[in-house]
Amino acid sequence: MKILEVSKLTKSFGGVTAVNDMNFSVNSGEIIAVIGPNGAGKTTLFNLITCIYPPTSGSILFKQKEIRGLTADQIAHLGISRTFQNLQIFNNMSVLENVMVGRHTKSKTGLLGAIFPLPAVQREEEAIVQSSLEKLALVGLADKALEAASNLPYGEQKMLEIARAVAMEPELLLLDEPAAGLNPTETRDLVEIIYKLRDQGITILLVEHDMETVMEIADRIVVLNFGNKLAEGTPYEIQNNREVIAAYLGEEGLSC
Amino acid sequence: MQDLTRRKRFRHLFILLFTILIFALPLVLNNNYYLSVLVIIGIHSIVVIGLCLLMGYAGQISLGHAGFYGLGAYTSGIITSTYHTSPWVAMLVGAIGTGIVAYTIGIPIFKLKEHYLALATLGLGLIIHIIFVEEVALTGGPSGLTRPIPYLSIGGLELSNDFKYYYLVWLITLLAVIIANNVVHSRVGRALRSIHGSEFAARSLGVDIGKFKLRVFTLSAIYASIAGSLYAHYITFISPSPFGLMTSIQFVVMAVVGGLSSIWGPVFGVAGITVLTEALKTVVPQLIPEAGGEYEIVVYGTILVVIMIFLPEGLISGLANLYEGWRHRKGQADENS
Repeated sequence: MKILEVSKLTKSFGGVTAVNDMNFSVNSGEIIAVIGPNGAGKTTLFNLITCIYPPTSGSILFKQKEIRGLTADQIAHLGISRTFQNLQIFNNMSVLENVMVGRHTKSKTGLLGAIFPLPAVQREEEAIVQSSLEKLALVGLADKALEAASNLPYGEQKMLEIARAVAMEPELLLLDEPAAGLNPTETRDLVEIIYKLRDQGITILLVEHDMETVMEIADRIVVLNFGNKLAEGTPYEIQNNREVIAAYLGEEGLSC
Repeated sequence: MQDLTRRKRFRHLFILLFTILIFALPLVLNNNYYLSVLVIIGIHSIVVIGLCLLMGYAGQISLGHAGFYGLGAYTSGIITSTYHTSPWVAMLVGAIGTGIVAYTIGIPIFKLKEHYLALATLGLGLIIHIIFVEEVALTGGPSGLTRPIPYLSIGGLELSNDFKYYYLVWLITLLAVIIANNVVHSRVGRALRSIHGSEFAARSLGVDIGKFKLRVFTLSAIYASIAGSLYAHYITFISPSPFGLMTSIQFVVMAVVGGLSSIWGPVFGVAGITVLTEALKTVVPQLIPEAGGEYEIVVYGTILVVIMIFLPEGLISGLANLYEGWRHRKGQADENS
């Protein structure tokens, strides 16, 4: 089943076309990697799928439903979650509280309930704490739950963002350069976590520059260049695609 | 989780200690002047607690809260003096009315951010103040409401002296603290703080940031309105001057001095600034006999700048952090020796 279908998607910023007439789809349960040189339009694509800004033209179907015109928070309620290339940790909160915000769409206490915390509200709060701790355990941060999020080292902050994003139990998870800045051990842990998430039934779409990781975990790869889709295929197909090699290494790369 | 329960218990213990302090204070300080200062501190604390929910937790600013404070005061004053209804009913009408005004005006205003939002709320405060001054038939204009405003009473007991009023005001302040504490440690409070932390991330997690900004703005306006009603029935006379821009700035300074991201900060901030203002009222005329009220602006400005530079988290958390830092350095020095 196709969980995400992007067709004829275009986004222009003034005279610059960041994403041009893009078509691709993601099947449920897949791990899809989007790669491409800097400025290829990868993050723009993510921002379009999560409705940070509207596309100039084209359509995005999530579970056969058009999501164009929705707001970023409505997208989350539909079951799409994401992490960010530049960390967007809530520095004013503890590690646990960061993940607890991730349970926002799965809980419903409003202002009145918050003012008068009746037993039902307290039960919901306990459930939020429990499931948030489980997500922290998944990424190996359970013992740091009560620390200030801003005190975590970079690698752990990246893991925290993943825990926070999966706390809402999304169907589609978008990871924007999850391995960037991680050391080899942390990258191994990340790969394990991504496999665990896939086994839980979460479809994963990721942007990544670390080719070794991409080739290992992706079922399929979409290659972008200057806003256009250059190629799409299995890691093997992509590795042997002349156009892709040209885009990455330059034309001369082909001659040797 | 054990640590989590311990933290919650600690917060409850703090509220309990605060309650005991409130009840004990008038027994020690039973001098009418001190009591009247404490009543004003309590009333202003209610406004500033609401403002801290907006500023410290949601990260939004308002330079117009004196307007909401005034709306509460004038609604109470006009309704009780003209229609002789119960002050409690008037207070409720004021709170609901102010809430509706804040919500309605908040819809367009919260499309703005930061400096623009500050200017919009400043404009809002000024407009409300101008209405108090110009609508002479309704508000009595610049000279104030001439009809007498009654005292508040509970079951026939008229709260006509400072001692009785002190307990009422601080009971409501305590309630304001408890409600704010509940809100902060809830799903709503986390959503508000997430907006402050990163609007991007908050939205990606499903937080409708416009809705939450609007709600906390409305809640803080209702806090201000209730405080205004309490003020009207305490002084029993109101004129536009205490509800102007200067008061709005004063509230912001109190909030910043106390520490924005704290429920207890506001009470200390208000107490600090109020005591300082009262002290200056006696000291300044002796030093500079021809000084007018404008020196307050200079003092507030200086305090704001000093706090922002040296204790950006406010007096309470700032001092706590300084102490932690000192202990940390001392610990390291001990290890080295």
